[in-house]
Amino acid sequence: MSVEISLQDVSLRIGQSEVIRGLSLTVAPGEVLALLGPSGSGKTTLLRLILGFVPPEAGSIRLGPDLVSADGRILRPPEERNLGIVFQDLALWPHLDVHGNLAFGLDARRVPAAERDRRIAEMLARVSLAGTERRYPGELSGGERQRVAIARALVLAPRALLVDEPLSNLDATLRRQLLELFRALLKERGMTAIFVTHDVREAALLSDRIALLERGRIVQSGTWNELRQKPGPLLSALLADLAWDAPS
Amino acid sequence: MDRPLTVFRRHEEQLYLGAAGLVIAVAALLPLLVLCGQLVSSTAPASGPAATLASARIWLLLARSLGVAAAVTALALGVGVPLGFIFARTDAPGRWVAFALHAFPMFLPPFLLALGWFHWFGRQGLLGSETSSRALFSAGGLIAILVATFTPIVTSLAALALSAIDPALEEAARVVARPWRVATHISLGAIRPALALAALIVFALSLSELGVPTFLRVDLYPSAVFARLGGVDYAPGEAVALVLPLLGLALILLVAERRFVGARSFAVLGARAAERFTIPLGRWRVVGALAGLLAAVVGLAPLGALIGRAGLGGFSSVPAWMGGSLWNSLAEASLAASIMTALGIVVGRALARRRRAAAPLDALAMLAFVMPASVLGVGILATWNRSATAAIYGSLAIVVIGWTARYLIVSTRTIAIAVAQSPLHLEEAAAAVGSPFGRRLRRIVMPLHRRGIAAAWLLAFVFCLRDLETVVLFYPAGREPLTVRIFTLEANGPPAAVAALAALQIAVVAGVVAGAGVAQLAARTGPR
Repeated sequence: MSVEISLQDVSLRIGQSEVIRGLSLTVAPGEVLALLGPSGSGKTTLLRLILGFVPPEAGSIRLGPDLVSADGRILRPPEERNLGIVFQDLALWPHLDVHGNLAFGLDARRVPAAERDRRIAEMLARVSLAGTERRYPGELSGGERQRVAIARALVLAPRALLVDEPLSNLDATLRRQLLELFRALLKERGMTAIFVTHDVREAALLSDRIALLERGRIVQSGTWNELRQKPGPLLSALLADLAWDAPS
Repeated sequence: MDRPLTVFRRHEEQLYLGAAGLVIAVAALLPLLVLCGQLVSSTAPASGPAATLASARIWLLLARSLGVAAAVTALALGVGVPLGFIFARTDAPGRWVAFALHAFPMFLPPFLLALGWFHWFGRQGLLGSETSSRALFSAGGLIAILVATFTPIVTSLAALALSAIDPALEEAARVVARPWRVATHISLGAIRPALALAALIVFALSLSELGVPTFLRVDLYPSAVFARLGGVDYAPGEAVALVLPLLGLALILLVAERRFVGARSFAVLGARAAERFTIPLGRWRVVGALAGLLAAVVGLAPLGALIGRAGLGGFSSVPAWMGGSLWNSLAEASLAASIMTALGIVVGRALARRRRAAAPLDALAMLAFVMPASVLGVGILATWNRSATAAIYGSLAIVVIGWTARYLIVSTRTIAIAVAQSPLHLEEAAAAVGSPFGRRLRRIVMPLHRRGIAAAWLLAFVFCLRDLETVVLFYPAGREPLTVRIFTLEANGPPAAVAALAALQIAVVAGVVAGAGVAQLAARTGPR
């Protein structure tokens, strides 16, 4: 079941620098939001706030009706938020095989073994990885590892999926294949998702809406068509960096 | 004119590795080959290896030694892993101070700690009685002392490995599981190679240990070998035969190391290793703090007893009893550590860069470390104790050779870990602008990894300073290091003087470790 993600006046300071500054953002149930911004703009920190790894210094975060973090406190720890995450470096556990990587979360939730194995088999088949259950992350290709990370996040049927630039180190063909896989999986599940990227193409192809983040604040947001009609300075700079023809 | 130079430069890396390989072969491989040669040539049925090994008592001793080593390893893991977790990953108060105090004894010769515990629980000890003395001078007492001595190795390796885990691995688990489950299923799983290495080191050191079982009068296999080389049972031919089962055992340990540890012990750290999460202990913080305190007390108690037993009288007699042993220790350990570091730079770097020639050299160095010290000792005796090599055998060079063979793996692996953290491109960039291998080593690799290299020298130095079991079989007359001096005096010397010498050894090691700590702190806080 998808859930609304809502951040209200969230701020966070790390050391002397204010990483997130009075940020408010709402992602509707089933909506795919691309969080677009240059390196150091606070994209990953925002995901860590939503996941519950760090508390906001000020402001509040809600998942649906639940207040999960507020004013310096984590009210619900990460494991009780039922969110899926695909990390930039994937973070597959190297000492567990593919089955073990997917089973860990299901075991933590005490899913019976038969049900667990059925769900793992279905998920692996969905991402075209059937038969790889006993292989370790080190024995997989780059694209296969990406798909295991996606499967691991989705096998738990999370309320929302957070994705942190997982395609940044892939070649163009593989990146396009995985983008299509992401899009298909999100749409068939009607899942709320936040997709962090610094690539305008990925944001345009995958999302329903794009939020542009700069120095810890949302400076512009809207659909791709709305943004390209009236690009602000940040989007113009990102497009200029790409020297790329935007999709119509 | 420049042709020989060009050929030399093209193969410079191989030549460096070849030279390092030659030194390692002379130090570590030659003694084993000579030993094997003697075993093969001793075929006389009455006095050959078969006759010696036919004794049931020998196999009983070996079984007992293996049992003690296995028990010490299991208990050290059982205590050290949770302690490593408390020190590295929880918010227990005072954990870093407790960790430092708990870890310090691993830099000391184990028999000094046995001596310290004797001053607590011996018949006339501070807490001693007939019962405590009987418990101390038994297999149980031996195991307890070795566990207290070697647990810090497990704690340190577990804590280091836990600190080096990529935090993303744990965060990915935290999304779906509680901290305790993440700790037991993900964190501990990810550090399995480090735990396997710790188990291997503790097992090998326990199996080699000579000083503690001799002091506690528990008959074990290394004592049997030692007795045939310098004791009442003098029979060097039998000693050679006795190392045969140990050779097989060393090979099994080497295979285990290759299988379960190998290159994984110097895996690259995660990019965000500094951001690891801490497990809040909540109301269990007191328990965590008490566990740390207990570990620190166990580490310090024997040292305190030694200093107390020495008293003013003991310390004033130190110059008379010490002789030149402290200077021998420092000179021999410095020289051996320098040689090991030089070899470690060449071999460790090649290992980190996956050069094929480095693997057999690493395996040989590992074999020399995991094999019981008596095997290496008997091999060195058989190789160098001849008239043609008397100049070497009678000088400090023999001690340097022995230590280099035994502890080379320490410097090699430390430098390999350091080099593996930096990208190969840094060296390739230098090669691309025409810098030959030797210059790259001096101008790129060594400055970049100076801290790792300094740590390798220091570790090798401390391992040499604490060594007894390797060098006791072949130290040259009048050139004995301090550990040997204390060990030989322990039986007949005045207890206060022996305790004072032990305190001196502790002070020297504490000074070296503290100096290194201060230097490391200065390097971190000073200009880069």
